[in-house]
Amino acid sequence: MKKGSIAFSLIWLTAGWLVVALAGTGFLLTDLYSRALDASLTSQLRFNIDTLTSGLVDSNDPNLGDVGVQDPRFSRAANGWYWVIRDQTGKVITTSKSLVGSMAPQIDGDFDADNYRSSVLTDESGNRIRAIERSTTSNGRQMRITVTGNLDESADLVDKFRGQAFIVLGAVGVALAIMSGIVARLALRPIDRLGQAIERVREGESETITGTYPREIAPLAEEVNELLRSNTQIIERARNQVGNLAHGLKTPIAVLRNEASAARDNPLSGVVASETEKMSQLVSTYLDRARIAARSAVVGKRADATMVMLRLVRVMQKLNAHVTIAFKRPDASLPWFRGDEGDLEEMAGNLLDNACKWSKGQIGVTMLAERTGTTTQLIIRIEDDGAGLTEDEAKKVLRRGVRLDEKTPGSGLGLDIVKELVDVYGGSLQLKRSVLGGLLAELRLPAARVGSPRPTTT
Amino acid sequence: MRILVVEDDANLNRQIKEALIENGYAVDVAFDGEEGHYLGDSEPYDAVVLDIGLPQMDGLSVLEEWRRAGRTMPVVLLTARDRWSDKVQGIDAGADDYVAKPFHMEELLARLRALVRRAAGHASNEITAGPVRLDVKAGKVTVDGQAIKLTSHELRLLSYLMHHKGKVVSRTELTEHLYDQDFDRDSNTIEVFVGRLRKKLPEEVIHTVRGLGYQIIED
Repeated sequence: MKKGSIAFSLIWLTAGWLVVALAGTGFLLTDLYSRALDASLTSQLRFNIDTLTSGLVDSNDPNLGDVGVQDPRFSRAANGWYWVIRDQTGKVITTSKSLVGSMAPQIDGDFDADNYRSSVLTDESGNRIRAIERSTTSNGRQMRITVTGNLDESADLVDKFRGQAFIVLGAVGVALAIMSGIVARLALRPIDRLGQAIERVREGESETITGTYPREIAPLAEEVNELLRSNTQIIERARNQVGNLAHGLKTPIAVLRNEASAARDNPLSGVVASETEKMSQLVSTYLDRARIAARSAVVGKRADATMVMLRLVRVMQKLNAHVTIAFKRPDASLPWFRGDEGDLEEMAGNLLDNACKWSKGQIGVTMLAERTGTTTQLIIRIEDDGAGLTEDEAKKVLRRGVRLDEKTPGSGLGLDIVKELVDVYGGSLQLKRSVLGGLLAELRLPAARVGSPRPTTT
Repeated sequence: MRILVVEDDANLNRQIKEALIENGYAVDVAFDGEEGHYLGDSEPYDAVVLDIGLPQMDGLSVLEEWRRAGRTMPVVLLTARDRWSDKVQGIDAGADDYVAKPFHMEELLARLRALVRRAAGHASNEITAGPVRLDVKAGKVTVDGQAIKLTSHELRLLSYLMHHKGKVVSRTELTEHLYDQDFDRDSNTIEVFVGRLRKKLPEEVIHTVRGLGYQIIED
């Protein structure tokens, strides 16, 4: 059933995407910065060309050296910052101090509409330089003014920028990864709540999934509720069918049995009597089994054991006027029975019925709860002042289908269903000697968690 | 003692009727809930055997109707549904006992006897009036320990009077409780049977209360 973790995959996916996106952002930013630096260098160089041009125009002498360009970088030798003034034949008329003794940079290509052309070159010292040239006319003479700037200086700035950008973006990435982890946790919280709600149903504290859920998992909660409902319906239907089968079969069996016992002289009657007896046993055994099989799947049921016992005592008292049933009503804090109300009636009812059959006049019913470790057990004791059972007899009775006294109708039969139900619920049934002199039947059953809300339906 | 049997299965209905007649009861039968309800509502019965699953009107509804209308005769429910919740429901609807199908006829008879006895306020299966002792279960009568032979009609008559000893029982009441619906009711037959019964019993056991009926004096 288990395969990976939603939180884990979420974090992985987010982190993977983050690394790619942040690295991309880093490169893009660096590229933009480098272009911006280049643009800035270009405009600076154009400004220098303009300064040289106006210097030429003012002095009207191309041989005049420093025609107004003040930037000291043009004075230091071989640093990539140069300027050159050529005539239309390409002969160098004058250069910046920085270019003294070196070859003047030469740009190829066409001039644009503004009479500029631009290129990236490498000077004799190995510097990568941006060179811009303008063709201009000064006093009727065609001149070409070239200015260069060092691109390596920009590259150093870009490198520094890149380093800083990746540190910042890395920090942002880590922060986002932590955030996505927290978000995944938060997003999965409703699933945890749903899990707890389902557990409460299984524990019998609730019949349906309760609480509100986000739109994404609300359908799941509804589906689970629908499943529970249809399950209950199927069980209900199965129980009804079992009931119908019971009614359908029992009447014909009763007819056959009565007919056979009315015609005792007929040899056929003996066969019919013994076979109908078997049929009757089979019907009741398998009906009991079918009921148990149907009910073991019932989840989320609780029953008020005190009310069940009050009801049973009232009924048995009416049916058995010859006995006095002493039932001390326990206080309201007694935990409920974790299971089906009908099943509790079946277990306690059969034990009470047995007690009434054997009693000489006194029956005692007590209820209490016992805490062992983390679980609480509900204890129901039913005792009588009849003959009771020896230890051996008690052992025998607790085995399946044993009747101790064939004369008392139904004895033994009732205990079978009690035992099976006790097993279904993981409880226990013990037969002991009562202080009243007869049998003490002690039923131990699982109790519903104390303090949990009452079921809302039936 | 007159009993009403309400059971939709024709065979079972017949069997119960035959067993009851054999045991000295007058019996009326009904095969559905409505007919059963009508009879139980209009005729005086000493006990009713009522099936729960009936056509037209289910047994529990019939029973509840009777109890609402103040009919207090003892009722034994016949039920295939023998879960405790069904029993509780039946008893709460006003039943006095239940017998789960498939049952042994002896068990049904024993339950009925006990109910009739209890309704008349007797604790044991034996009712005595002076030297006369009636064993309800065996249907035997002894006088000073000596068994006497009675016809089924005489036994029915004595049994009814003994169950209601101390009370003045009118001839009409006797006719109503000793014969079923279809019997040709003629109060003279009662007088004839009382006369025959008196001859077999010691004098002064059955008193005639002029204009009212008969009475067996309590000890």
